[in-house]
Amino acid sequence: MGCGVTKSDQFHKQSGKAVTTIKAAVLIQRWYRQYVARTEMRRRYTWHIFQSIEYSGEQAQIKLYNFLGYLMDNFTPSSNERNLISHIFRENEVCRDAEWERYFSYENIEVPDIYSGPHLTFPLTVEQAFGLVEAFRNKKQLHSRYVLQLLLETWKLLRMLPNISRISTCHSKEITICGDLHGQLEDLLLIFYKNGMPSLENPYVFNGDFVDRGRDSIEILLILFSFLILYPGDVHLNRGNHEDHIVNLRYGFTKEVLTKYKLHGKRILKLLQKIFSWLPLATVIDQKVLVLHGGISDTTDLSILTRLDRHTYISALRPPKKRHMSSATASIDSDMDDDIWSANRMSQRRASLTYPKPIGTKECFHNRSLQDFSERIRANIEALEMCKRQVHAHAQAQDQAQAQAQTNSPISSSDVDSVSLSCESIRSYTAKDEWRQILDLLWSDPMTQDGCIPNEVRGGGCYWGPDITEDFLLRHNLQLIIRSHECKQDGYEFCHNRKVLTLFSASNYYDVGSNRGAYVKMGPDLVPLVFQYQASNMTRELTVRQSVGRTERSALKVLREQLFAHKSDLMSAFKKFDSDNTGFVPLNDWASAVESVMHLDLPWRMLRCQLVTCKTTSDGMIDYYEWFSELAIKGHKDTDHIDQSLLETLYRHRSTLETIFRMVDTDNSGFITIEDFRQTWKLLSVYLKMEITDEAISDIAVTIDSNQDGSIDIDEFMEAFRLTDKKSRLERGRSMFMVTATDLTKLEGDPNI
Amino acid sequence: MAPKKKEEPKPAAPAAPKPPEPEPPKVRFPSVSDFKDAFQLFDRTPTSEMKITYAQCGDLIRALGQNPTNAEIMHVLGKPKPEDMQTKMLDFDQFLPIHQHICRAKDRGTFEDFVEGLRVFDKEGNGTVMGAELRHVLATLGEKMREDEVEQLMQNQEDANGCINYEAFVKYLLSS
Repeated sequence: MGCGVTKSDQFHKQSGKAVTTIKAAVLIQRWYRQYVARTEMRRRYTWHIFQSIEYSGEQAQIKLYNFLGYLMDNFTPSSNERNLISHIFRENEVCRDAEWERYFSYENIEVPDIYSGPHLTFPLTVEQAFGLVEAFRNKKQLHSRYVLQLLLETWKLLRMLPNISRISTCHSKEITICGDLHGQLEDLLLIFYKNGMPSLENPYVFNGDFVDRGRDSIEILLILFSFLILYPGDVHLNRGNHEDHIVNLRYGFTKEVLTKYKLHGKRILKLLQKIFSWLPLATVIDQKVLVLHGGISDTTDLSILTRLDRHTYISALRPPKKRHMSSATASIDSDMDDDIWSANRMSQRRASLTYPKPIGTKECFHNRSLQDFSERIRANIEALEMCKRQVHAHAQAQDQAQAQAQTNSPISSSDVDSVSLSCESIRSYTAKDEWRQILDLLWSDPMTQDGCIPNEVRGGGCYWGPDITEDFLLRHNLQLIIRSHECKQDGYEFCHNRKVLTLFSASNYYDVGSNRGAYVKMGPDLVPLVFQYQASNMTRELTVRQSVGRTERSALKVLREQLFAHKSDLMSAFKKFDSDNTGFVPLNDWASAVESVMHLDLPWRMLRCQLVTCKTTSDGMIDYYEWFSELAIKGHKDTDHIDQSLLETLYRHRSTLETIFRMVDTDNSGFITIEDFRQTWKLLSVYLKMEITDEAISDIAVTIDSNQDGSIDIDEFMEAFRLTDKKSRLERGRSMFMVTATDLTKLEGDPNI
Repeated sequence: MAPKKKEEPKPAAPAAPKPPEPEPPKVRFPSVSDFKDAFQLFDRTPTSEMKITYAQCGDLIRALGQNPTNAEIMHVLGKPKPEDMQTKMLDFDQFLPIHQHICRAKDRGTFEDFVEGLRVFDKEGNGTVMGAELRHVLATLGEKMREDEVEQLMQNQEDANGCINYEAFVKYLLSS
């Protein structure tokens, strides 16, 4: 951008004309620069909006999970809610290895002749892997028989891998590192196109979050697993926070699998649950570069991470299960712990009689992050140790009596007890430590300030500062951390003095045109070379201005819906500023009120003209009643009789609602019974601390169960309340209603898959 | 999104003069707090100190709705050396008077000014200009634009013959 004015005599003969020409040019240039600055501004706050909403969604997920865990620990066994929650945690399934093998058996699944997708034979060949990629590019689907087979092979392989993969760039191999893919097959195909498929000469590291939000999560997994099986020394996968069945319930992967694989989806998901828990946690390149999904904290210790049993953490959101003392005899598969868990529950039952007071108030879990909540669980568990040992001792004594009667071998039950005591207590301490290590690894984000604070925005992991990075790198003799987990406009971003690199490989993540994706190539010099791209034909056709506009409109729409969903709270906040009840508030007060309710840390004043289109008075006062009617989301006409505030609550917590519905729908039919529906509402009303009368619930049930057959179609329910919006991508992921019309026609007709 | 160090809760900004709370009927000027939001969006300091570089000053002023020339910005910043642009910082209180100064300047450019300016290039007097000529001018005259900037501006504006109807063009420019 030059500041000078050039001579233009050669261009126009008359000097008068020259002056006008230059004036004209300057005018346009000035205007143009203003346009660029404003566009940049819009891009930035649009970004903020999406990110705030995304992270608050994750936080809601964790809160929900905390809540359910809390209920598990505190409800007496007789309550109906407990059964419901048992459903949810599926603790009732206790299986041994042999049983699992039968459960996952694919041999009886026949592949019909009319199946037109790819066929796989094992051991897998390179041609088959390429064929798979090609098939998915052509929108084919892999038959469930082959899916199960492929997943079983993957499971077998992953169990042999260490927690932290250590690889090297020897022989001048360049390693390619990719970040979050989130089910966006187009981006993976683009990377393969630009960078080549994985092979012995072309090693890859995929840094987690392969699934959720996008629509081809299972296809991405199948491709990655195929290459993993083919080249186990050259393809490395790290676990991300979305490789977690709890998170998948909300963010779309569970639904995607159940929709694409109607018959065998449940089994596929169960197997994936195990596979996710067996995914390695991190990769180290040349002992100098650490690649992991989320980040680190001030307590992250690679030696602990190397030692722990990663597969016992099925979900990073759950505090660890209790381990049985004789782990040596435990099967490779951790599900034997289910036995112990039920025993634990039995003693908890006793605890709830002897310790009738619950752990904490109902409000506590709302404001806590996961770590805080786990403290309470731990305290509770330790208190229950006593009961458990009593139970154990009793059982032992019985066994001992029997054994002695039979074999005359003296086993001192007190010996057993004391060993179990010390083992258990050590284990319970380090188990919690280990859990925290994994949680931090998968959920943390870097921040600009020094120090380490809990990540309240996401609800898990922490925020860590440049000083933590310095210390960590020094302690472990490393020079760079490559992580993902956060969407970046350019696909990548350095921070902490270029010691931390964030890499994100899902382009157009928030909406078409929102961001580019990136991957990194690294040779023996360990200097990261970044490559950017943006998938989708649509982006290329839109002008920059149009794509910013689109994303902005999308963000604002989502924001308006969020605002409407908080109408009651906003109304109270406004009333506080408007004590005379004039119905008007000044702009500053409007902004303060909105932020105090929404907690999204957005530039509300700047957004005001976009969000409040009704006229403000000449002195800048905002008529908030009119604003609400402008924002109002009209429900289905049949729902007009439903209480407005109930509707608003429904709307605000629709993701949670749908998550719970899906959990309750244990046979994955898409229908739940009226009774379960009522139970779900009861649960929700406790969670939301609000009164929902039985009458109100019946009203809703009757509205939806139009054919009066006693079951409710979940999708219809969500649709009826306009609780889902097919168009917005962000909403799609969040509300899990991802299927568009074209997808439906693709999936519907094929009963063979 | 990492947490920022929060400023004291709005709207108390002791240093800057704030228009009195609205009493009927009074024309309301944009308040200082409006600018603060924008300032915060541009603040890239590691600890969110509410400071921007000299180089960002022009962008911020433009983002707030003014369209000064680069020369005007340099002038109001006190003609800093090029190397100072990335290193010298402004805090919010220093920024405000600079912004005020730019706001007061006249001659912002109306629709007619634009059209008249472009008419200079209308050789045949038929309401169109040659896209190529316009591109050339923008890149070589006045406060030159870079090629990619010109491209971004002119994207999809030329018809099959490479001509631009300039009235429509100006309307398009002013509408975003």
